[in-house]
Amino acid sequence: MKHPLCSRRITACLLSGIALLFLCTGLIYHGFWDEGPLPGFFPIIMSALMLILSLAVLFRSYKDEKPVVYERDELLFIACTLGIIVLSLIVGLLPATALFIVLWLRFFEKSGWKEIMIVCACAMALAIGVFSIWLDVDFPLGLFDYFAY
Amino acid sequence: MENIALLLNGFSVLFTLEHIAAAFLGAVLGLVVGAMPGIGSLAGCALLLPLTYKFDPTTAIIMLGAVYYANMYGGAFSAILLNIPGDSPAVCTALDGYPLAAKRGRPGQALLTANFASFIGGSIGIIILTFTGPALADLGLRFGPSEMTALLLIAMTSISWLVGENPVKGMLVTILGMLLAVIGMDTLSGTPRYEFGNLHLLGGIPFTPFIIGAVGFSQVIKLVMERTKKGTEAPQMRLSIRGSLLSLHDLRRLIPPALRSGFLGTFVGVLPGSGATTGAFMGYAVQKKMKNEDELGSGAIEGIAASEAANNAAAAGAFAPLLALGIPGSGTGAVLLGGLLMWGLNPGPLLFSSEPDFTWGLIASLFLSNMLTLAIAVAVIPFLLKILLVPVKYLIPLITTVCIVGSYSSSYSMYAVIVMFASGLLAYLLDKNGYPTAPMLLSFVLTPLLESNMRKAFIISGGEPFYLFYPSHKPCPDACLIFSYQFSIH
Repeated sequence: MKHPLCSRRITACLLSGIALLFLCTGLIYHGFWDEGPLPGFFPIIMSALMLILSLAVLFRSYKDEKPVVYERDELLFIACTLGIIVLSLIVGLLPATALFIVLWLRFFEKSGWKEIMIVCACAMALAIGVFSIWLDVDFPLGLFDYFAY
Repeated sequence: MENIALLLNGFSVLFTLEHIAAAFLGAVLGLVVGAMPGIGSLAGCALLLPLTYKFDPTTAIIMLGAVYYANMYGGAFSAILLNIPGDSPAVCTALDGYPLAAKRGRPGQALLTANFASFIGGSIGIIILTFTGPALADLGLRFGPSEMTALLLIAMTSISWLVGENPVKGMLVTILGMLLAVIGMDTLSGTPRYEFGNLHLLGGIPFTPFIIGAVGFSQVIKLVMERTKKGTEAPQMRLSIRGSLLSLHDLRRLIPPALRSGFLGTFVGVLPGSGATTGAFMGYAVQKKMKNEDELGSGAIEGIAASEAANNAAAAGAFAPLLALGIPGSGTGAVLLGGLLMWGLNPGPLLFSSEPDFTWGLIASLFLSNMLTLAIAVAVIPFLLKILLVPVKYLIPLITTVCIVGSYSSSYSMYAVIVMFASGLLAYLLDKNGYPTAPMLLSFVLTPLLESNMRKAFIISGGEPFYLFYPSHKPCPDACLIFSYQFSIH
């Protein structure tokens, strides 16, 4: 999926937007100076500087001919990770992660079941052995939380 | 002599079973993570950060220090055997390491040269740290808010200039890191700001998930494409400890460049923003001007020794400003600083006097880590190829699990996982568009200190806007800012 030039401009615009948001919020709600620096003092200076720099980058991006390429596989991986977060609200964090490993290796990497089971066992041993048992972390169970208590 | 007495006291703190086990575990994990192509020391330290929650601060930072240190050793392994640097400081090592291993058929000697040079460079760096750290802290005690502001600005401007191709973009992400860090409570008045009505944001952006996402998760996204690249086929090499031993002639070629680069690398490591990569490149560049038995780039032992000694010395040297002034020299240093702050320790001029057991215990642990890592690095030589050739496609789900589970365990909340995901996505987007992410991490960690010092300086000056540039009573800020400016220009 190629977006020549477009991505650089969008990123520069996004950064300008963030700078503008911090600048306006600082000026309206937090203040700059009243017989001394107010909570908005530092962010206002920095966001103003960021706005100038991001606009400079935006104008320079028109001269930049190198296209930015977002690979399909990378975007798919990001979507899958987002899927884990959503799914963890239903089935719990560890089952969602285990399901991700199985589905990712099986359908995306075309791995055999033996390899999948080994990787899944390693990941769960790490999560349960180190985090759950050793560090006493209680992972969320999703909807099962309601049945557990 | 006082420093040596304090160091011996540090060794007495260090020599408990728990601390030695932590240093050993850190060295093994750091070596393995550092050896994996594409992960590197920054992501390695960030991913291993949650594993230290169980420990007390001293044990935790001893382990993290060992991880950081061993990462520098590990980066050379894949550079020498696969021609894929595990981390950016190992780029120069690959220039001579791979030809010596693959073309001249001496992989074991290339690995041992890298290990011994790392040990020599690291030892020089730690010895210099032992003597200069307290002196630097004494100097830091004389600094007021304006001097600290100037010094922090130097650290931020220099790293934003040196990392990445475009300094404007470097500055831009530095400021982005600052703005993300101001979300939450105001450091001086305690009033909430930039929380946008969200209760989670009231506590600010949590450090650990932010770092894991920006460094670890974004790295995994990049690995998704790395896994299809060719070039990681098993090389036809046989590795054994006996077959890797260096001859006396090899040692004679190794020691002088390692000593020279050790001193040079330490000096480079102390400078804010320069770090191990600059150290390795400078060490290699200086060696190129020297007389070498083989031409550099063709598999010269001198080339491997120069770059490896310099990068390990720089890694050790970077601890001096980190501990004495609270200013990290690199992204990895920022992770370590974040770890220290997380455990309630405040690196800076007072650390040496207020927490001597911790500080000297940490410095002593660097000596121990250096020796342990050398021993482990030599012991794993026969198994290195198996470790290095673990397919990336299996690493991706494993690292993703660590990212998710590790960030959740930092605050027992799914909010932390969302922060990890969002910061990873942000870092990925920035990286794709040519923005370096290391300056963002550094400024994220240093902003509370910078802001409070800057505001105090303005309160003291009564609102004089040029106070930082033309102080009436102290010449330091002026000199510091000029240095910062000159450094950026050149």
